[in-house]
This record gives sequence, C-alpha cells and structure tokens, in this order.
Amino acid sequence: MKSKLLALFSLVIVASMLLAACGGGNKAADQQVLRVWIQWGDNPQQIQTLFDKYTAETGIKVEVTAPLEEDKILPALTGSNPPDVLVLSGGDLVKSYAKEGLVTELSDIIKTGGIDLTDFFEAPLDQCKYGDQILCLPWGTDMYALFWNKDMFEAAGLDPETPPATMEQLAEFADKLTKTDADGNLTQVGFLPDQGWDHSDLYVRMFGGFWYSDDGQHVTANSQPMIDSLTWQQQFYTKYGADKVLAFSSGWADQYMSADYPFYTGKMAMYVDGEWMTGPNFISAFKPEASYGVAPFPPPADHPERANTAVVQGTVAVIPSGAANKDASAKLLAWMMSPDIVAEEFCFNANLPTSKKAAQDPCFTANPKFKVFTDLMASPNATYIITTPISLEFNDAYGLVFEQAVHTGADPKPLLDQLQTDFEAKLQDALK
Amino acid sequence: MDELRIGRWNWTWPPKFPKWGPRKRTNFRIGMLFLLPWTIGFLAFTLYPMLASFIYSFSIYHPRAPLEWIWFQNYTDLFKDKLFWQSLYNTLYMVIIGVPLTLLASFFCAVLLNLKVRGQSIYRVIYFLPSIVPTVASTILWLWILNPQVGIMNNLLGIVGIKGPNWMTNPAWSKPGLILLGMWGMGATIVIYLSGLQDVPASLLEAAELDGANWWQRLWHVTVPMVSPITLFNLITGVIAQFQYFAQAYVFRGFQPLGYPLNSTLFYSVYLYQNAFLYLKMGYASAMAWVLFIIILVCTLLLLKVSNRFTYYAG
Repeated sequence: MKSKLLALFSLVIVASMLLAACGGGNKAADQQVLRVWIQWGDNPQQIQTLFDKYTAETGIKVEVTAPLEEDKILPALTGSNPPDVLVLSGGDLVKSYAKEGLVTELSDIIKTGGIDLTDFFEAPLDQCKYGDQILCLPWGTDMYALFWNKDMFEAAGLDPETPPATMEQLAEFADKLTKTDADGNLTQVGFLPDQGWDHSDLYVRMFGGFWYSDDGQHVTANSQPMIDSLTWQQQFYTKYGADKVLAFSSGWADQYMSADYPFYTGKMAMYVDGEWMTGPNFISAFKPEASYGVAPFPPPADHPERANTAVVQGTVAVIPSGAANKDASAKLLAWMMSPDIVAEEFCFNANLPTSKKAAQDPCFTANPKFKVFTDLMASPNATYIITTPISLEFNDAYGLVFEQAVHTGADPKPLLDQLQTDFEAKLQDALK
Repeated sequence: MDELRIGRWNWTWPPKFPKWGPRKRTNFRIGMLFLLPWTIGFLAFTLYPMLASFIYSFSIYHPRAPLEWIWFQNYTDLFKDKLFWQSLYNTLYMVIIGVPLTLLASFFCAVLLNLKVRGQSIYRVIYFLPSIVPTVASTILWLWILNPQVGIMNNLLGIVGIKGPNWMTNPAWSKPGLILLGMWGMGATIVIYLSGLQDVPASLLEAAELDGANWWQRLWHVTVPMVSPITLFNLITGVIAQFQYFAQAYVFRGFQPLGYPLNSTLFYSVYLYQNAFLYLKMGYASAMAWVLFIIILVCTLLLLKVSNRFTYYAG
C-alpha cells in the first residue's frame, strides 16, 4: 500500500513537472506583460528604456530580450508561448516562416493598430509584401554606399573630392590606389568588393537584375546581370593574385570596431559600407581625424539612369502566429512604428528610419554624410532584396559560387548555370 | 506485476528482495526518489527528443501542421546531397588526422610532464591552462594567432624561413588550423595520460632498465602497452568529440558564411544545424543526426573490437 502511494506520489511529481514545462500558454492570455524579442541588439538596455515609455503611456509592461542567437527563434515561434512581437535582423527568413504558418499576415493587425502604411518608404515595405499579403513591417533600415579615403586619393594623384562616376572608373581608380612591394605582396588595396561581407545584391542591381525574378517565383541565377556582377568583382582579386589579396585583407572584418580598421590606416582606399559608419559610434568614435567621403555607389557607364540605386536591408518586425493577444501585439507594433519612436530609436543607433515623417528629423539630415543615405532611401531607384521560402539555402549556395568566382578566379558562368538548375527546382518545390 | 527475466535474476516491480528488511526497502525507495530529478530530466530532455527526432526523420517536419510522411526519402536524399558528402569528408578529416595527432602530442607532453624536474608542477599548470579557456574565447584568440598579416604563428614560421599559409582563407589550411587550435587545448587529454603514466609500475621500468633497455625501448615496450587502456579511452572520446565538431567552426569563420572558406569548415554538425534552424528542414536534419549516430556507433564498436589486439589490461 505504502509503495503504491509512493509510486503515485512520484507520478504526480513527474506529471506536474512535465505540465509546468509544456503549459505556459494558458496564463499568457490574461497577462499584462508583453514580450518583445529583438534578434539584433547592440544595446539591450537602451531598447528596454525605449519600451519603458510604452509602459509609461499605457501601463502595460514590456519585457525586451535582445540580442538573440538565430537558433532560439525557431523554437520560440513553434512553442506555445512565443513573444508578442519579434524583430528579425533581416527579411531573409520571413517567407520561410510564413510558409510554415509561424507568422501572422498583418493586414488585420495594421487595421486594428491604425498603422499608416503611406508613411513607410516603399523599398523596405515592399520586401515584406507577398502578393497582397503583408508578412512583416520594416523597423530600422540600412543602406550601403561608397566610402573613400581622401588622403589616399590625394597621395595617388586623384581629386580627393571626386569619387568615381562609373563602375568602370571605380576599377581604374582602384588600380591606381593599389600598391605592391618588390615581392608582389600588397601594401595597399584600392577597392575590396566584399569588404566586411558580400555586397553582390548592390552590384547585381547596378547591372540591372537580381537572383530572383521580381515576383519571387523564379530563380535567375545565371542571368546576365549575375554573370556581370561576379565578373566585375573578380578583377579586384585576380589582377593582383587572389591569394595575395586574401592574405592582405585577412582578419580585417574583426578590426571593424577599432582604430586599426584598414580604411583608416591607409590600407584600403575604397569600400562599400552602411549609414551607421557616418554616425557617432563608428568612424567619429574610432578615428575622428579620418578624412573620408561618402557617395552613392556609381552605376555602370552605359546605364547612367541607374544612378542612386541602393538596396535596403535591416530589421523587420513580425507577429508570431502563436502570440496570445493579437490586439495587444497590434497596439504595441503600431506604437513601435510611430514616427516619434522610430526617430528616437534610429537616431540613437544612427540607422535609417523607415518612416517618412521620422526622416524629416534633423538627426537624419543635419550630418551631410548621413544625408547621403537618407536621400538614397527616398530615391526612386531604392530597391530591396527579393526573398523566397528558400532564401537562406540559396544564399549559402550562392556564397560558395561567389567564393569560387571572386576568391579563386573560377569562371562564373558554369557555376551559376549549376546553381540555376539546382535552385529553380528547389524553389518550385517550395512554392507548391 | 510484470516479471522480466535477465540471466538468473527475476526482476519484478516493485522489486522484491527477500533478504531485505523493511528499513532497507525504505532506503531503496528514498534512493529512487532522489534519482527522480535525473530520471525526469533524462526522459523529458534526452529520451523524448531522441525518439521524436527518430520519428521526424521519416517526415517533412511542419511545426504547425501535421508531419508529412515520406518514409526513407530524407535518408535517400542525404546520399544524393553534395554538401552532405562534403561535410562528412571534412569531419572525417578531423577524425582521421586530428585525433591521432592530438593523441600523439598529448602522450609526449604527458611523458615530459611526468619527468622529475624542478618546477614540474608549474609546467603542468601551463600545459593545462589553455583547456580551461572557453571555446569561443580560444577560437577568437586563434583567429588572431593564425592571421597571416599580424598573427604570431606566421611570424614565428617566418623567423625559421617558412612563408606561412593563409590559414583562414585557404581551404587547404583551414582544417589544419582548427586541428592546431584543438591541440592547444588538449590539457584534459594530457592529464588523463599523466595519471595513466603514474600508474605504470616502477618495478617494470626498473627491471627493463636492468636488462639494458634504453629510454626509447622502455617507453615503447613498457610504458606504451601499460597505458594502452588510457589510449583507447582518449581515442574513443576524441573520435566522438571530433564527429560532433561544431562550436570552433561556428566561431572560426568570423563574419563569413558558415563553412568558409569554400565549405572547407562545413562540418557534419554545422550542416545539420543549418538544415535544422536556418533552412527549417527539421526532418532532414533529424535524419542526418541518426546517420551520424550510426556512424559514431559503428566506429566506436569497431575501435573496441580492434583494440583487443593492442590493449593490455594489467591484472
């Protein structure tokens, strides 16, 4: 008898612990605490302070979790108690999540929350649209432009105030700005097309295409713009020996947030980077005396109409389909998207606002270097990265082709043909 | 209740041990109660996920929709997947080259650390220290050590006239770089070897010495056989660890995509992780996990079987 009681007792403990582990969902409905998860968060405390304002206005407490490792997100979305609003680092996975029903289509939320879609810049908003569905809302946005080191231009006999006007001229300038020692080792590089990370999205757009068709229904990996982009990028490596360029630039990405960054130390004359570099936390913090210029990336010579082409990237907010209280999520999302809050958050981080009203704030227009990016955002040629449910897998496979072509000098055409064959099939399968 | 017959024991639940008094029985139950937290943890966080992944491996996993049964298709797709073979090759490289090198190096370090010299405990601390550095920190440190421009490794090689390779950007050198990083942190293996070396009977070594065996002969004919069970243990744990190689590769690519350069660091677990959490192919990733499990199981059994020939158990 006693032993049965003991067994029963153990069973109750096991059962209650398992229930406690899986339960959770029930209490979410009547909670007064909303949870916001932000994948990319340099400064979690600042973000929490921002959301404390929402608490001050509405009495609803908001708990911020940031930053997040990417492997935490899928379990959170599939679990029974996901965050009320989730801010992803980029739009890459949104369509994969949508395909699995993990995120809410936002049309109703936008209505409930009273979110004004006309206040959004078109390019970042367009990346969230899928047919007539809206799967996410862009929050903070990044754009990329050409940075050049004026001192190095002067030393090479170039006009320090005039950046290259075409992609062809950029290659000429780069050659003048590249120096080697007696053994052929680099001591200075003119332009690195993939400094920091791969910027193929920008170059492909400049050559007039992308790796997906505009509607995202087909892969166009071996289209002419794709070949042109890789061929154009290749020259900056093959001309001087890819191994030598790789050896020279090895580890530079890890020096990004330091005074040793090669752009400041006279080792790299031109490269592509984002708006935050011109804000208070980067160049002016690490190398205030750096003499540099920023300009929209130049178009190819035969397509001057593509000037001011730029590709938006940046964070997007989604509402998990398992979120307990969609009305509360809607209100919080609307508050996050309001011009004042957008202005405050992205002024602090020196990122671009997605709200047109917020972009009027002097914070985004006073600094002429930052204004290059604010203007690009409003450019009719501002565009976005087309995504599909297989975006991440494609990106990794493309990354390999990129490496083979640009870092080892392989012929891009056959590599892109193979990529096209593999991924058109995968995409059609995923879109079924 | 049910009876289970194993050998000459009749197992019943609750167990009946005829010779046990009531006090012993109570102790047994209390003991079981103390085991409960572990049992719950094992059932909920080890056994259940394992069974679930086994089931998922036969399906396309949809988090919010019923599983789509495709039976063995994940497994057959695996064998057609170029990246699967690439990741298996990379992993086998680490197992076949990395593990023996590490064993050899740690054995010789242990032999040196076993010599009776002044300040030996300080040397032991120095050799052990790297293994308490967290994996991420030591990997980032090695990113700098192996940096071809400013790294200490190529500078040292330069002093002896060797032009060091591009460790991190040349696909032929990325895995050797990671093996070096692993060997730097082999302190735990050294300590296990050291304890084994101290168990080698001094009488045997003395006898060999009296018979005229030199240092090398004593090492090869006495010490090596006497520590062979330790070698087997280090070998098997090393092989298992290398098959599951993940964290260092995840950190080592820096800002580059996983597998950089040219997928030379796309190890099995890395590709599994990509499939599970980035491509949302949980079923496929589960199939990969089970294939890895079988590979490790077969390797371990094979090593145990083969080891009979070279392992000597004293007593």
